[in-house]
Amino acid sequence: MRTRDGPRVLVLSPSVLSSRSLTAFRDARAYFEPDFVLVHGPERAPQADARARHAFDVPVVHPPLMDAAEQVQRHSIRQGEPDRYSLLIARSADGLADAEPTLDRQLENTDSVAAVVCDDVTTTVRPTALETDLSYRSQLAAALPAGETMTIMSGGLAAGYDEVWRLEADTGAVLGVGTEGDDAITTPHPSTETAVGVRIVGIGPREGYGTAGSISAVTLGSADRPESGTADTTESGLADVTDVETLSADAFGLEAVSGIGPKTAIRLEKQGVTTRAELLETPIETLSSISGIGRQTALRMHQQARVLESGEPRRLSDEPLPGGTHPGSPLCLDIETDGLSPTIIWQIGVYDPNIDEYHAFVERSSPEDPGPVLERFCDWLFGVHPDRALLTWNGWRFDYRHLESFLNRYVPRYVDAWDGVAKLDLYGWAVGNENAVLPGRTNTLEDVSAALEYGGSDTGLDGAQTAAAYQRFIRTGTELEWDRHEAYCEDDCRALWHVYEQLRTAPKPAVDQTTAANDGTASTNESTTAGSQTGLGDF
Amino acid sequence: MTNSQQETDASPLEGPITGDKLLESFPRYRDPEDVTVLERPGREAETVSNEELLEPELAGPLEHDCYVHQVEALEALERGENVCVATSTSSGKTRIYALQIARNYLEARRRSAENERGDSTAYVLYPTKALSRDQERELNDFYDRLGLDITVRVYDGDTERGTERRQIREEADVIISNFAGVNTYLHDHDRWARFFSACDLVVIDESHTYTGVHGMHVAWILRRLRRVLEYYGSEPQFVMTSATIGNPGEHSEGLIDEPVTVVDEDGSPKGPRDIVLWNPPPRAREDGNAGSEDGGERADAVPDEGEASDAVEGVIERVPATVESPKLLSHLAYQNAQTLLFTPSRKLAELSVKRASQHRQDRRRHYTDPDRGSAIEPYHAGHSRQKRHGTEHQLKNGLLDGVASTNALELGINVGEMDATVQMGYPGQRQSFWQQIGRAGRGTDRALSVLVAEHRTLDQYVVSNPEFLLESDVEDAVADVGNDAVFAQHLLCAADELAIDERDAGSFADRERLERALEMWRRAGKLTGVLETGVSYRGPPRPQSTISLYATRGEEYEVRLAEGVDEKHDPEMEPLARERVYRDFHEGAVRLHEGRQYEVCEVVHDGPRPHVTVRPTDVDYYTVTQSDVTVLDATSEESRGIGDFTLHYGRGRVLVYHGTYDEVGVHGGKRRAQGVPTDNPPLSMDTQLCWLEVPREVERELVEKYRNFSVPDLDSELAETPHLGYAAGLHAAEHATIGVAPLELMLDKRDLGGLATLTIDSHLDRGAGEESAESADGTTQSAAPGDNEPKNLAAARATVRATAAELERTPSSGWFIYDGIEGGLGFSKAIYENYETVARRAREHIADCECGRVDGCPACVMDEQCGNDNQPLHRGAAIDVLDALLEAEDSEGLEVSGSEATAEPDEETSAQSEGRRPPLFYS
Repeated sequence: MRTRDGPRVLVLSPSVLSSRSLTAFRDARAYFEPDFVLVHGPERAPQADARARHAFDVPVVHPPLMDAAEQVQRHSIRQGEPDRYSLLIARSADGLADAEPTLDRQLENTDSVAAVVCDDVTTTVRPTALETDLSYRSQLAAALPAGETMTIMSGGLAAGYDEVWRLEADTGAVLGVGTEGDDAITTPHPSTETAVGVRIVGIGPREGYGTAGSISAVTLGSADRPESGTADTTESGLADVTDVETLSADAFGLEAVSGIGPKTAIRLEKQGVTTRAELLETPIETLSSISGIGRQTALRMHQQARVLESGEPRRLSDEPLPGGTHPGSPLCLDIETDGLSPTIIWQIGVYDPNIDEYHAFVERSSPEDPGPVLERFCDWLFGVHPDRALLTWNGWRFDYRHLESFLNRYVPRYVDAWDGVAKLDLYGWAVGNENAVLPGRTNTLEDVSAALEYGGSDTGLDGAQTAAAYQRFIRTGTELEWDRHEAYCEDDCRALWHVYEQLRTAPKPAVDQTTAANDGTASTNESTTAGSQTGLGDF
Repeated sequence: MTNSQQETDASPLEGPITGDKLLESFPRYRDPEDVTVLERPGREAETVSNEELLEPELAGPLEHDCYVHQVEALEALERGENVCVATSTSSGKTRIYALQIARNYLEARRRSAENERGDSTAYVLYPTKALSRDQERELNDFYDRLGLDITVRVYDGDTERGTERRQIREEADVIISNFAGVNTYLHDHDRWARFFSACDLVVIDESHTYTGVHGMHVAWILRRLRRVLEYYGSEPQFVMTSATIGNPGEHSEGLIDEPVTVVDEDGSPKGPRDIVLWNPPPRAREDGNAGSEDGGERADAVPDEGEASDAVEGVIERVPATVESPKLLSHLAYQNAQTLLFTPSRKLAELSVKRASQHRQDRRRHYTDPDRGSAIEPYHAGHSRQKRHGTEHQLKNGLLDGVASTNALELGINVGEMDATVQMGYPGQRQSFWQQIGRAGRGTDRALSVLVAEHRTLDQYVVSNPEFLLESDVEDAVADVGNDAVFAQHLLCAADELAIDERDAGSFADRERLERALEMWRRAGKLTGVLETGVSYRGPPRPQSTISLYATRGEEYEVRLAEGVDEKHDPEMEPLARERVYRDFHEGAVRLHEGRQYEVCEVVHDGPRPHVTVRPTDVDYYTVTQSDVTVLDATSEESRGIGDFTLHYGRGRVLVYHGTYDEVGVHGGKRRAQGVPTDNPPLSMDTQLCWLEVPREVERELVEKYRNFSVPDLDSELAETPHLGYAAGLHAAEHATIGVAPLELMLDKRDLGGLATLTIDSHLDRGAGEESAESADGTTQSAAPGDNEPKNLAAARATVRATAAELERTPSSGWFIYDGIEGGLGFSKAIYENYETVARRAREHIADCECGRVDGCPACVMDEQCGNDNQPLHRGAAIDVLDALLEAEDSEGLEVSGSEATAEPDEETSAQSEGRRPPLFYS
């Protein structure tokens, strides 16, 4: 789980509430430690609401079922510190205008409102007209204070959506849309009293999580927004949404264990097994007598459940770690680009565990030319460490893939040397080749290293943010907080080594399990191994 | 020919079978009027010596000299041009790109000797997997013969993942695939770096098949492919091979967005050919007495009969082509002519083989040697690859006397040359017609092709207008990139593949369109960044997987078999576009697919995988959906005058409500259950449309001429107005224009819809002018989207009526034709551009129809999809409107300003004297 200090709002969709087991919610409760639970609309779902109230011991609100007499309610988020953080929750968009006292009056009186929750707010994409519009924007423009930017959370939009719409205060006409700090929304000057800024944050079901659906947790905190071009300057004081973390709904409860899908979960439940702890208490023999579960699957379940319960990784084979036979430790590599379809690899970070040293190759001056930074990296790599292997986390999908493609294009003279480098990938070894079971709800490096208690420096950045910052630099020349962004990259390199070390010392399989692992006959049809889950958080 | 054909032994005749010999030998009476024999002369080969054209290494091993079109194409390629070769079936189109690949290969080898890049690859794209495998063999054989070490490999969905794929990507010189594959593989283009960097040639085989929805997806996939190739430093040439179509140049350039040199002078030798248009005999009144058919009864009886009976049965009935064609297959095979029968379905391919054999038995006296020419097999994509291979092989080696095949054998699979072809019904398009009959013709021997007509519009048009087939024009293929919805989907994929930047403005799409689409996706949270520095994709992984090549919204419905039904009944249908599901696959619908009946038992619209569940059934009815249609907010983007008529092209919203359906008896077409609700919501489409405004003068004249027309029992309060006859004419003209559109354009008429109306203005976006003025300051309207959108069809119609009542001017009358697919297909645009030709065909077609009825028949102006139950229709009034249009075209430029000047003052008085015009509209 991400290391975030602020109070946390857990957002559940009615469909996830009705399809997952209560133990899964208890597990989610333990994982997220929410201060507040929101069952999002706009559909009325009384049963889901009831289920949430049953499963959680913190306040639960389902906006469509709020008291009709009170169109907008203010809810303090962390009990005990009532005036620090709160949400204004609207029953419906039409109710925004009927709020008593009016919305801007309520917002004027306090700095504690982190967001207005309104599930009716959504975007409408009309591809035939090449238009995306925001519903209820005239109502929003009328209800919200002019000259400011207010955050709206909506279950009508997928989690991951986070854009600022700048609207004309009188009409609701769209003046511009972008992320905060973008030219597109700052050119009509934002501070004028005629414009309303609305930051729309999606908290609804996110695409790409299959039939299980997704669960999101919203962290509140002090506003930390890069303003009008001056990126990364902190302006604190106002409460706001600082992070939305989304996980697959099947990362909780029994189904977090690979090999257990909904059908197996039901069969296990019939045997009285509803939690991972109970699963561990159930002997392999009993488990493998349940239809659909072979002996090998049962063993796997135990291994995985043990890893999740203990937070200790476990190796499944005697296979040496990647590079284990190579002289010296591998160099841990991570790159930063300006987007998922990169035009430049502007930072290449390498951590050398042998001498505990970190090297960063960063393009700080001429972002239009991707060549020099690659060249510097290659000069160093082939000049100083011609024989060392490289190590990444899922590098075949990203780091190696793009490095190779950029080298071909910009520094072809190093291509042959690059081909000769041993390129290792810890993720592929552990997850892809099933040599180990990792703790963590997803297989992202961030989650895995956090579960292995890697205590990095909290830069508050993620890949998308650092890419966006660099894009801004290319466009406007606005310098990044280089140190912070370099620290972020370094953190990933060191986290990778931490995971490597943990896996090196992790227990290896007992003899009988090795035999079982080679016996590939029994398995279930439901293959929900952590690696094959399609969640966005995974790869 | 005589009337007293005897049932005698049909010993094989001397020499190749001809049309006349077929008529002489076929065991049955035949009305001379039912059969037309067209004789097509042969043509000598025109060749150029290989030594002049090719380097010795290639010229040496080649057995034959190249034909002139091959030479022309290879020369154009040498000059660096893109080429589209549009010549007949088996004219050696493959050899052109095969040789070009070889030339590139040798060139690369020379470069490599000089230490430069020593690799040359080609991406060869076929429309079907079967064709891919077939051509892989052909190409490998060809290079073996030339002694060149060129590796040709298929890489598609059937290729084993992992090592095999990697090996192909890293080693093959030629990769064969299809467009669904290209769409998917572009995501991982870096794995293809070696192949793409060396790519000198992209081949699009059978390029004419990329038309309509499919064509526009292919056009965008090619644009994406070009971006990626450019990234790897490749600017390959394109070779397209096409069947003969009307617009090979325009179509090819539309596909690849680059200039293309067309090569269509066919230099391959052709023997003479007899084309027999064969209208089956009238069906005897009582079925069963097959031997005593007496054609004499047919000749003049028809029109009278039509008067007497109801609309559907008034039309004469003939023996169906499905029964008649297998007899011809059987007969020709007996006559030692190796024959290929084309059937419209797998089931009919199978059935035809049985019927062919049955025919021999029924006519035992005639076919005395039962074993002769009896090796006849079916062929279709439902057979295993192995079985198909066997059949292909046996055909090639003459072990088979005949094959009944679906159009699986229409596209270039090599089965050698036949003596004869038989077509079970007109294949719908001249392009397809020629492609199929091109299968017959051994060298310069005389070939025979028989078209057995079905009793339906196009077939009957073709047999009664034989010159139509011989006109040099064939249909135009439409590959349009104007559909913004499709463009927007491919833009997401393109951004995922490589960041979109300045270089894409003007090349991937024009800047304004690109900027709008980027802004739309940024606002939707799917893209991030700006053109200057690159726009990246940030939606769910692999946007390529949301592209469905047969729909415009990325929303396809899978067709599933109901639970518990044996797999063997799986209809194996292509996924369906949403529009099709609403119209034809509502719950309770009975559909015929490849000769098998299915009932739709469930439709799931929502969720990640929308689908339709069907189960096989056996009932004696089929279902027809009744639809209501209206057009709203049409905005003209282009217009032109045809005399005083005005034709517009633009965009608008079409609301279609397939609200109920009828069950129609398979025999006799009687309607049983009527008005059964489909439980469908109305379907709203933003689409492309064109509309014709009839000048006031013409309208006034025709209203007057047909003012006494009435339709008994017409369920409408407006039935008594003097406008009814004229409105019926517009309605009939609209049906006919759509009905004949497939004669000019490669389209499925089901993808078009229409609406005839007396008040065009009430369907237009009246605020269009003002709005554009307001939005000039860059702001958008403040109303939330959809706020004033009518929620259902009744409301929409009420809106139209209310608008009509408020109109200040007397509105124009005329009809709309729209693309029945979200975002449009470019069809109405193509019709807009070819309106006169389409109108002329429509006029001929209505006038020539034998039905003799005022309100027409299913062969002329009636349309099974009509939302108004084909009422009111008036053939005479339709002909008059179309005549006025076509005369106006001829006299264009004359008195135009004069007539406009006089029209205006009349308007008030006319509107008053006729009373308020009723807002009638018919789909």
